[in-house]
Amino acid sequence: MATDLDSFVNHTVSIITSDGRNFIGTLKGFDQTINIILDESHERVYSTTTGVEQVMLGLHIIRGDNVAIVGLVDEDLDNRLNLSSIKAEPLNPVLH
Amino acid sequence: MLPLSLLRTAQNHPMLVELKNGETYNGHLVSCDNWMNINLREVICTSRDGDKFWRMPECYIRGSTIKYLRIPDEVIDMVKEETAVKNRGRENKGGRGGQNQRNRPAARGNFGGNRGAKGGNVGKFQKNKPKQ
Repeated sequence: MATDLDSFVNHTVSIITSDGRNFIGTLKGFDQTINIILDESHERVYSTTTGVEQVMLGLHIIRGDNVAIVGLVDEDLDNRLNLSSIKAEPLNPVLH
Repeated sequence: MLPLSLLRTAQNHPMLVELKNGETYNGHLVSCDNWMNINLREVICTSRDGDKFWRMPECYIRGSTIKYLRIPDEVIDMVKEETAVKNRGRENKGGRGGQNQRNRPAARGNFGGNRGAKGGNVGKFQKNKPKQ
């Protein structure tokens, strides 16, 4: 049920979109098509050579069509991450 | 808060729209509808690779082609007031059911009255039907 997302509202969430990008931000709202309002958001860009790069973005509406995963972020754990030491392949886009 | 209420509040504000094909459109939002179809003014379109640019005075974007919209941070604070007013309105009405029930006896009375009168609602409705 879409209403399960209710418990994530006003919490930090990590969204993986179908083009393989990762957005982090505060979930401010959503609707029945999983269009999402993400406030104070940033994108995490993964790379195998340099660490994770964070791009500040601000207020976003992400269209539900492109949302693959919405995950609740454990903020304590997330704050302890040393992003500059994390190296990873970027995700591939979803193949339709 | 609903994403489309936020988008409606963002009317007359600048925004960046990225389409599923990777093109981005920068412009001022003129209007939008419930399908997220949008009208932009003073638009700069950027190609997927960011190497080509086009300026256009106006464009219309079909909602289903949008990947995401980036809107100014302050817009979210302007929505809150609108939803608060809406909710207050609902409380005053005391819910849908209550109002319908209160109206029902009056509606029945009117209907009976019209039927009795010459050229009541029922007759008018039937006369109009073939024209449609």
